[in-house]
Amino acid sequence: MFVLEKIREYSKTDKTAVIYNDDKMSYKELEEASNAFADFLIKNGKTNAPVVIYGHKEREFLPCMYGALKSGRAYVPVDITFPADRLEMVLTDVEPEFFVCLRDCEVEPLASAKKLNVSDVQNIFNTNSNESVDEKHWVKEEDNCYILFTSGSTGRPKGVPINRANIENLAKYLTKWVDVEGNTDIITNQISFSFDVSVVSVYVGVALGKTLYTIDKKMMEAPALLYEGLEKSDLTFWVSTPSFAELCAVSQNFNQNMLPNLKRFLFCGETLTHKLVDTLTERFPNADIINTYGPTEATVLVTASKITKEMAEDSRPIPIGEPLEEVEFRIVSPEGKELSDNEIGELQIISHNVGHGYYKRPDLSQKSFFETVSRGENKRGYRTGDACYKIGNLYYFCGRIDFQIKLNGYRIELEDIENNMVKIDNVSRAVVIPVMKEEKVDYLAAFVLQTQKTDTPKLREITRIKAELSKLVPSYMVPRKIVICTSFPTNTNGKVDRKLLASQL
Amino acid sequence: MDEKILEILAEKCGVEPEDLKEDMDIDLFEEGLLDSFAVLGLLVDFDEKLGVKLEITEVDRADINTPNKVIEVVSKRG
Repeated sequence: MFVLEKIREYSKTDKTAVIYNDDKMSYKELEEASNAFADFLIKNGKTNAPVVIYGHKEREFLPCMYGALKSGRAYVPVDITFPADRLEMVLTDVEPEFFVCLRDCEVEPLASAKKLNVSDVQNIFNTNSNESVDEKHWVKEEDNCYILFTSGSTGRPKGVPINRANIENLAKYLTKWVDVEGNTDIITNQISFSFDVSVVSVYVGVALGKTLYTIDKKMMEAPALLYEGLEKSDLTFWVSTPSFAELCAVSQNFNQNMLPNLKRFLFCGETLTHKLVDTLTERFPNADIINTYGPTEATVLVTASKITKEMAEDSRPIPIGEPLEEVEFRIVSPEGKELSDNEIGELQIISHNVGHGYYKRPDLSQKSFFETVSRGENKRGYRTGDACYKIGNLYYFCGRIDFQIKLNGYRIELEDIENNMVKIDNVSRAVVIPVMKEEKVDYLAAFVLQTQKTDTPKLREITRIKAELSKLVPSYMVPRKIVICTSFPTNTNGKVDRKLLASQL
Repeated sequence: MDEKILEILAEKCGVEPEDLKEDMDIDLFEEGLLDSFAVLGLLVDFDEKLGVKLEITEVDRADINTPNKVIEVVSKRG
């Protein structure tokens, strides 16, 4: 059942949809505000162009998202971690008719678009019709629901559109993993809407009538607020990246006493380490741990597995899980041959979760997406670039076949950073290397060649490069370590020897 | 002790201790030298390498936003 139908249904109850610190929003308010926003779009929109929404967990964000869907439009969530330069690139690609700006932001859309700030949006919620929006206006099966912009190796982000059919397919198989208690559950609303793990809460959690408990950036930056918030949350279901749980687990107080009714952790977005599994198992004896895996291109996740004692004790990595019932996995050699158990190759996903390709980028789409027949049915496939092997129906991740990495749950193309670093004054070349700790990337280090040697103190030069780079890429993409070198070592092929550079760290 | 603290801090900032000595009052957060995740690593290292236990809930960004302040907070506990 599609999320919009369920919101309408729950709006007739007194259920709470979202909790924001000391404030909350009922399903009724969510329904009415999203109806009003849809009404505004239907009455004033000349095109069906996607609506770009810039912000971070504000009260208006979700009603604008659902409102766009009710008006038949996709939305493009852009988190405040995106600097102006990237936001402009997104606006150029999307060409929205409406640009919702929930935070102060100097960026102006193209002349044909209208910028709506918080007070404009509140005004729409208060004055437009909040009557139920006729389903004939809603997004249809083949209409996009959202477009997420992810790191692109050229230095320009690429859009991944996901349609209603993709989401309904995901919901069909994911619901049972999220539905742990009944309808009074409280689940996390921590992941930024511009990152698709948030879909678990926004589409599946809300469709189940759960209450989303908001943990925003402000809480993340002030641990006292974060733990205070967790303490009073009474969460029953947890969905996040492993990194966020690791952050919480730094405090010994993050345990069952803090969240006595927590039944389940569901992780997605990056490697789940043995260390985190051990910590959570010890501190939350009443909660189970589900690991999932999936790229944005295949709608959030395509596997799920409960982590068993055997998996936790195994010397192999924690498995990324078993494919969901509808999903077919193929592990393929560079020659295109399908591999058998224990052989490492590139993972291909064949599923109705797989999207239709990159937004307005047929060149890139053709490389990664394909049509195929799976169990007698025509489906789309996606080449993940993830190197994996399987044992039976359980899959294990063992790295990338390119320069894409995950850092604190964020997906980053190292070349994206490198290509932006050379735009900085006095930087002629840059090589970015992930530094591993235990089973995952701990931080990034950039080796930089200068156009001209300078007398600036090193600390100043490093902070200058970081400041310039943060105007071009999201803050999580700015390498922690910047090493200024006079030359790069090369290997026998004449290419920069990344391994040798990494060994200098 | 101060040298040890600075060494651990410098590592989390991705620079050398000598670099930090250039400006011991530099705002580590504003200049992009520390973020939430690096602070966690910092607390873990102070505990493991110096035996100084700081609860994450006790340290506000404003208390540890410069190298001088970090040294002050940690050495008071050491």
